[in-house]
Amino acid sequence: MTTPIIKVQQLGKVFSTNDMLTHALQGIELEIQQGEYISISGPSGCGKSTLLSIMGLLDFPTTGKLFFEGKDISQLSMEQTAAIRNKKIGFIFQQFNLIDELSIYDNIALPLRYAKQPTSDKKIKEKVDYCLDVVGMLSKAGRRPTQLSGGQQQCIAIARALVAEPSILLVDEPTGNLDSKNSDQIMATLEALNNQGTTLCVVTHDIRYAEMAKRKVYLLDGRILGQTRFDHQSMY
Amino acid sequence: MRILIRQHKQAWASLKKKPGFVLTVLMTMGITLGALLCAITLNYLLLVEPLPYPDQDRLFVAEHGVTGAKKETKGLAFTYPGLVHLYKSKAAFEQAAIMSYGEDVIVSHNSQPLVNTAYITPELHQILASPLALGRMFEASEAMDTHNPVAMLSYNTWQQEFNGNVDILEQKINIRGVSYRIVGVLAEHFIEPELEEIGRETQVWLPFDFNSAGEGQRQSFGNISGNLKFIGLLNKEVSQSQAVQLLTPLVNDRWQEGVAEISFFKGWSIDMRVRPVKEVMLGQSESIAIMLLAGVVGLVLIACANISNLFMARTAEKQRQMAIQAAIGATKKHLFKAMLAETSILMFMSIILALVIAKSGFYIMQQYLGAVLPRVNELSLNPITFGCAVLVTVVFALFFAKLSTRMINYRALNTTLQSSGKGSGLQVSKKTRQVLIASQVALATVLVFANFSLLKDAVKTINAPLGFTTTNISTLRLNFSSTDSPSQEESIPIMAGIMEKLEALPQVESLSQSGSPLDGFYLRALTNVANNERYTPFLKGADQRYFNMIEQPLLQGDNFTRVDRQDGNNVMIVNQAFAKQLKADGDVLGLQLSMGGPDPHKIIGIVKDIAIPGETAIEDDGSAEYTGVPRAYVASRLGAQTFMLKLKSGQSVSREQLGKLLAEVDSRYAVFSFNSADDILTQRLFSEITTAVTTAVLAGLVFLLAGIGLYGILSYGTQLRRFELGARMAIGATKQHLVTMIINDNAKSVLVGFIGSVVLFALAYIGLSEYIQPFLTWQVLPMIVATLILITLVTLFACYWPLRKYINKPAIFSLRGSD
Amino acid sequence: MTDIKIEMKNIGKVFETDDVETHALKDVDIVIRAGEYVSISGPSGCGKSTLLSLLGLLDESTSGSYVIEGHDVSHLSLDEAAHIRNEKIGFVFQSFNLIDEISVFDNVALPLQYKKEIPTDEFIKERVEACLKMVEMSHRADHKPNQLSGGQQQRIAIARALVADPAILLVDEPTGNLDSQSGDTVMAVLAELNKNGTTICMVTHDARYADMAKIQLKLLDGQIVNDEALKVAV
Repeated sequence: MTTPIIKVQQLGKVFSTNDMLTHALQGIELEIQQGEYISISGPSGCGKSTLLSIMGLLDFPTTGKLFFEGKDISQLSMEQTAAIRNKKIGFIFQQFNLIDELSIYDNIALPLRYAKQPTSDKKIKEKVDYCLDVVGMLSKAGRRPTQLSGGQQQCIAIARALVAEPSILLVDEPTGNLDSKNSDQIMATLEALNNQGTTLCVVTHDIRYAEMAKRKVYLLDGRILGQTRFDHQSMY
Repeated sequence: MRILIRQHKQAWASLKKKPGFVLTVLMTMGITLGALLCAITLNYLLLVEPLPYPDQDRLFVAEHGVTGAKKETKGLAFTYPGLVHLYKSKAAFEQAAIMSYGEDVIVSHNSQPLVNTAYITPELHQILASPLALGRMFEASEAMDTHNPVAMLSYNTWQQEFNGNVDILEQKINIRGVSYRIVGVLAEHFIEPELEEIGRETQVWLPFDFNSAGEGQRQSFGNISGNLKFIGLLNKEVSQSQAVQLLTPLVNDRWQEGVAEISFFKGWSIDMRVRPVKEVMLGQSESIAIMLLAGVVGLVLIACANISNLFMARTAEKQRQMAIQAAIGATKKHLFKAMLAETSILMFMSIILALVIAKSGFYIMQQYLGAVLPRVNELSLNPITFGCAVLVTVVFALFFAKLSTRMINYRALNTTLQSSGKGSGLQVSKKTRQVLIASQVALATVLVFANFSLLKDAVKTINAPLGFTTTNISTLRLNFSSTDSPSQEESIPIMAGIMEKLEALPQVESLSQSGSPLDGFYLRALTNVANNERYTPFLKGADQRYFNMIEQPLLQGDNFTRVDRQDGNNVMIVNQAFAKQLKADGDVLGLQLSMGGPDPHKIIGIVKDIAIPGETAIEDDGSAEYTGVPRAYVASRLGAQTFMLKLKSGQSVSREQLGKLLAEVDSRYAVFSFNSADDILTQRLFSEITTAVTTAVLAGLVFLLAGIGLYGILSYGTQLRRFELGARMAIGATKQHLVTMIINDNAKSVLVGFIGSVVLFALAYIGLSEYIQPFLTWQVLPMIVATLILITLVTLFACYWPLRKYINKPAIFSLRGSD
Repeated sequence: MTDIKIEMKNIGKVFETDDVETHALKDVDIVIRAGEYVSISGPSGCGKSTLLSLLGLLDESTSGSYVIEGHDVSHLSLDEAAHIRNEKIGFVFQSFNLIDEISVFDNVALPLQYKKEIPTDEFIKERVEACLKMVEMSHRADHKPNQLSGGQQQRIAIARALVADPAILLVDEPTGNLDSQSGDTVMAVLAELNKNGTTICMVTHDARYADMAKIQLKLLDGQIVNDEALKVAV
């Protein structure tokens, strides 16, 4: 029984504005094991993005516990969570979130530059080139994000997410800003990565893409409605 | 109208949520605009507003220019008979008055106050059409040569010295042995033309005949006096230059006649000058006023740039709200109007504060700058001030509203509405921001440094050790209130009596029959008998207790003795500086110095140097090292009428008490002045203290403004980068990474700003080298470092503060579109 | 013919960034008649939001013509577009987009403030109250938006969209930020409004809600496709 990468216990998230309380998430129980491919889907407003933010340590739960590789997140400082995001988590966003002022190469190298242990320039080049090669974008290293199409930008975002060799890729609506052809390509890239061992958690409301995952979680009104699983590692 | 009210209500509601923003705008604009209104009103008053006298455009002052043999101006003052001659000739002027200023003690008054007096001919108040509170002005029966002893009081004198007594008319006052009948009191709103000295208010007006000029001076064409003035209403058909041409031969011919016997004046002549009263009153103040206005305008511009940045930052904050309004049909004009509602509320509040500040500014100027600027008593919030206030409010409100709405990229606004939109409806290019930061830093550095330098200089002067004590010491000068003065012999026993009484006072610890060093020295030519070398040290009479009392140490030799003074021994004590001048090794005891008389003075002692603030060494060799002012002391006479009193600590003696004491000994003596040395010292340091306070306040203000400005720019710069910050945080950037990044990104602009300030200094150096050169020593290095550190600190703060709300919250806050 | 509210012909939209061109919309034709309830759906990135921006005159098309109630609005100045938005279009956004600083009443009254001729206070009061009643929020007129739940806020947003009596209500993912129960309530309000004659055009990717509309348009990669085509794509 290996330690799950992410383990969520009785997690809840409440947003409060003045005298209004909104329960975005309630009683979430979830575990993600090494090598899994999980999709989280549900209608807009169901809380799936909030869940992903919390699992990615971008946000904090109001109640319940989150363990990342066995570590209780509530015990960590902001600096420590930043370090975990940097080393262990790769993010892919709907809007790509590349930094327009940096070249493609520098965008991808960024996580390495934020790392606690500095990486030598040579090593950085090796890793960046490798990741660019994985997503088939080696030729674009010198360009700027604004010079690429949406599909290409998302590929770069994937390369950036991969560069620090994270434990898990958290993917939020990766196809939201792409046409169907590009979307299919991105999803295929992600699937290929999973086949090579990358752990994936994808949030999408697109049923077609949700179905591609090996395990599917459905959310409605902040609660898990149901799960299907195709693996045998589950504790449930 | 309804919409206008509603818009203002909404704007107010929205502003209430941002008290920091409102307060910053309010304080910055309120203070700077207050200063601006002050400066504008002052300039208007001095440069535009006519004097409050009828026919003021024909009101001129005639001056007596004494020109030496080489056509050089020797002085700008009348001789007594010259003035009387001009007055009696009645040339060029329709009506003219002559006057002589003085200082006298009202002996008959209980408190024997020292008052400013003016001895005038009756025409003066007729020309000025002076308003009266009581009685009448002088009339023909009190004209020159009538010797009719009457007096007029100023309103303040009436109120303060006579408690506003309604029965003041026909009462008598005694000044210098003459009893004057009070015939009139000037009205409170009478404004005196300050011809002699800015800020001097004449308290008692007396007929010209009774002026203090001695019989000799009244006849002498070789004796000029700055106290004598001529003012008149020029004939309608006579121009200013015609008047000069008319008066010069008239006065010169009579003068040549008068000095024909004196060979000293061979080749000299008189040329008359005729200047408008306004010009005379203004003197150097015009440039002071304009400089003040220029300075304040500069301050307003800096403030304006800063507040612009703040408004831009605010627009950045409000973009989502504006996008919503645009989506439901608000045009650019609507957004502009909404913004205008906000800016006009802010500017209205600022201008109210500005008016309050201007009003206090007037008060401060009247209290403290009365001696520097003329006519300050006329300063008040007038239509010009209010007009400017309205104009400034409207212009700035429109300007800030326009500026804020200009940066909205109307087309891109809708992207902010889409919940996950990354777009930004704002446009301030990175370049613009960098230029703004750089110029802000450059200006702030220059101004802070300049203020620091001035401040340091002023503080240095204020804190410079005097070399003597002023604690509990006061100077008493006597007034002899009779027409014929006593002889030296006659006064010795009287003074002895007075001193006996003074020493008997329980409050008095010790007494010296000499003036305080702060009361002044006089220049005296001395000749070293040994080698005929000439020296001009500052000289002062001192008695045997003088040095002890002020705690000025005697380094070598002996002090004066009572015997020295009694016998009139020609002995002298010199200070180190003079000793060094006389002999390089400073060993000058026994040296003989001649004052021109048959018996030279012998040096018997050497005292330590003292420093009197505001007095600089007159070094003829111009040697760079300041060695101190050369001083010499001679034994004061036993009949001297100036005393220093050292009081027991916590004790005081009133002027009235001293007056009574004097009257007991000899009723002809009254107190002329009784001032504490500390007060004199403060007065002497007035300009340094003013400079210190002003520069400290200015440095603080500039610093604050720079901080606000930098904060403004960096704040919206950071807001524009919000999504980028979020993305960086998502991939693991820590707080430190982001702070370092923002600082690095701005470091270049700040550096450019620093270089810019050096360039500004270089330009200033080229343009004003003579003024700046003395400041340029290695001593400015710590100041430069201090300035740079301060500006850097403020920049760092401005970098961090806007960033804090993003980096101290979970990353998702920055990644989401709306708060 | 006169009952045509909206007519779009051959609408195209191209985004350009540096050297990349993205065709967000291609040859889109849409006709919406008075009283119709149209839904536009499709997967993320299909161009729904872009189309809605064009329909709402928040953005300008690159090609094609667009007519609202007989007025050609294909090429308008920014201010003209603002006026048309104000008079003809009512917006309902996914994130409500109410202004938190002012009361519910003032939020609803906002569009009336931007009219060319500003109505009287009485008219504003009457109209705002009528609209609040339609969404059953009369009792909340004096609250601030952030004191209300999401569903309530969305109903206020609908009231605001209705207040200027627009030709059409443009609704963008109205349930996106709501739980399913509030979502259902909001959709019921919209259905009720449509029954009473309001023309509605709604963008959603929620199949359940898209089906509530009488006319369902599907978008894929910037083009309108019929049902069958969409099914094949899936």
